[in-house]
Amino acid sequence: MTKGLNHFIKCFLGGLLTISVIFSCNDSPYMQGKRLYLANCANCHMEDGSGLSALIPSIQKSVYLGKPEIACILKNGLRDTIFKDSTFLVREMPAFKKFSATEITNIVNFVNHSWNTSFKETTITQIEEAINICQ
Amino acid sequence: MKLIFYYILGAFSLLLVSCKNNETLPYLGQTVVENGKEIHHKVGQFSHYNQDSVLMDNSSLSEYVYVADFFFTSCPSICPKVAKQMLRIYDTVQDEPMVKLVSFTIDPKRDDVKKLRLYADNLGIDHNKWYFLTGDKEATLELANTYFVAAFEDADAPGGFDHSGKILLVDKDGHVRSFSEGTDPENTPKIIEDIKKLVASYKAENK
Repeated sequence: MTKGLNHFIKCFLGGLLTISVIFSCNDSPYMQGKRLYLANCANCHMEDGSGLSALIPSIQKSVYLGKPEIACILKNGLRDTIFKDSTFLVREMPAFKKFSATEITNIVNFVNHSWNTSFKETTITQIEEAINICQ
Repeated sequence: MKLIFYYILGAFSLLLVSCKNNETLPYLGQTVVENGKEIHHKVGQFSHYNQDSVLMDNSSLSEYVYVADFFFTSCPSICPKVAKQMLRIYDTVQDEPMVKLVSFTIDPKRDDVKKLRLYADNLGIDHNKWYFLTGDKEATLELANTYFVAAFEDADAPGGFDHSGKILLVDKDGHVRSFSEGTDPENTPKIIEDIKKLVASYKAENK
């Protein structure tokens, strides 16, 4: 009897371990945000958020991490131009007008969770407030 | 019995030799036989200005193995991803003087020499290692075909051009020897290996 119980406990613990390994492999708890990021942002900012030298800013070390302005940038885009000797390069981040406050919250949480070392979850209310201010 | 042993030994060494032959990179594209000689596909002739206003053509690269792609600086779609992989390749070949990188713009109207210089500066690369070339648009689009890159103007495409994000490895004689899909980072280690193989084969020849 005790042998059977022993066996059961072993199997149970083994199963638990397997499940926890599977879940820990899904590295981010913000899967919706990750999906949106991969579909809309990763093309330029790269999957790992590293950007492209000075041409496309890295999100990993962005000053906007953890700040409400990040919602405004997503919603309204950013236009920045590098000038030199009568020529210029436009660095433009398109505006993602189509994103709802929920979607922005998901992306912001994914990005912050991935690269902001002092991560704090952002709520939809906070994002809505931020969007109201930036408009 | 001894005969069988030698036979097996012979077969085995033949196998080894044939395996070694497989290590040389294939010639991509059509190979035609003329007068009993194999003639491999070559990339087209070009005459383009680089980011430092130096006119370059095929002969400028005849001493080098080079990695090529087609892009444009205002490209909003696949270009950043491909450029990232080119940069990754650049990092691995920095100490190998036999290797150069060449990026042709398919949008010469907007990408003049000055813009390419600004782009290269902001990418943070050595101008003598990685050339950004601009030239006649039609000629460049045709040239792309000879590198097996599909490139054409398309008003409906993001940025106005449709093109594939292939990265190509070209040998000293202008033959395409390997390629990778620049949009897929997992493709990159293979072409880096192929660059090393090609460089090694030239070094072995010179010994």
